[in-house]
Amino acid sequence: MRCVGRIALLGLLLLTCATAAPAFAEAPRIGQIKTVSGEAFVVRGGERLSAKIGDPVYESDTIETGSGGTIGVTFIDNTVFSTGPETQVALSQFRFDSSNSHGEMLADVKKGSLSVVSGDITHSTPGAMKIRTPTAILGVSGTTFAVKVY
Amino acid sequence: MHRRVLVALALFTLTGCPRQELYVVLPNADGRPGAGKISVNEGNTRTVLDQPFASAETRGGQPAAIPPDPTEAQTVFKQAIAARPMLPAHFRLYFFLDTALLTPESGSTYRTVLENIKQRPAYEVEIVGYTDTLGSEAYNAGLSLERAAAIRDTLVWGGVDPKAITIAGRGERDPLVVTGDQVPEPQNRRVEITVR
Repeated sequence: MRCVGRIALLGLLLLTCATAAPAFAEAPRIGQIKTVSGEAFVVRGGERLSAKIGDPVYESDTIETGSGGTIGVTFIDNTVFSTGPETQVALSQFRFDSSNSHGEMLADVKKGSLSVVSGDITHSTPGAMKIRTPTAILGVSGTTFAVKVY
Repeated sequence: MHRRVLVALALFTLTGCPRQELYVVLPNADGRPGAGKISVNEGNTRTVLDQPFASAETRGGQPAAIPPDPTEAQTVFKQAIAARPMLPAHFRLYFFLDTALLTPESGSTYRTVLENIKQRPAYEVEIVGYTDTLGSEAYNAGLSLERAAAIRDTLVWGGVDPKAITIAGRGERDPLVVTGDQVPEPQNRRVEITVR
């Protein structure tokens, strides 16, 4: 039984590789940039891209602002992030199933200021959203709060 | 005696350190009364903040609650709060029995949906259709998707970008009002729309 399962899995893998190789690289978007002012960037795979309204964000992206810059992102679970200037926030982990609203989120505030309005992930599972700072981990039950790392 | 001196000394030393981090619970942005709750965890220390403007700070690596200071919070987070996107909005539209035709009241809600979308510089729209339990499950799966598609098409006709819209049909699953099978229920004949 186990062997049959393995062979089936192998077949499936080969099939996926053969037919849908580009789909592997294309991770699902987890949110969209809604507001931008001044110097605002998305860092993705070592590349620093100018942030524009309407751009998608993906898991493992870092949103970054320079002096005077701000950036606002709404995630697919309806969580809303917005930052002040001189800020770095890594979107380290994000998982969300819209059919049952379950998910998990971990963001790292490395420096600067972040304001949060939590969404469906915390509504369905209080504590499933975490914000990590250099010294602490925030467990979020909801909804509106802000963090500053000096 | 010794211990008390040590505690006093520790407190003095910590408050002498510069502030490293600040955490503040803000009044609910979605207009619901009161405030939410966060807990600040460092090692075995857990500081719970659950009142509007309840605050904690970290000095010397150690978080501790501090008195709420709304003026300071609004100053420190002024730009971050000003950058906040328009919050996601939720709508429900209802349909006549066995159709994808909106009830008259929902016709006016529909216009509110369209206006809400147009206020946003970048938007995403999710439309999920549902039915009551009259008819077969398979038939209702199709009808619920038809309802979602009908609203999508109307929005697109109204100028909304089709690429920003996703639709789904959940048939008679997830009723708003739980009924037995084969029961007509106006509240269950609906689409739910999220605009963000």
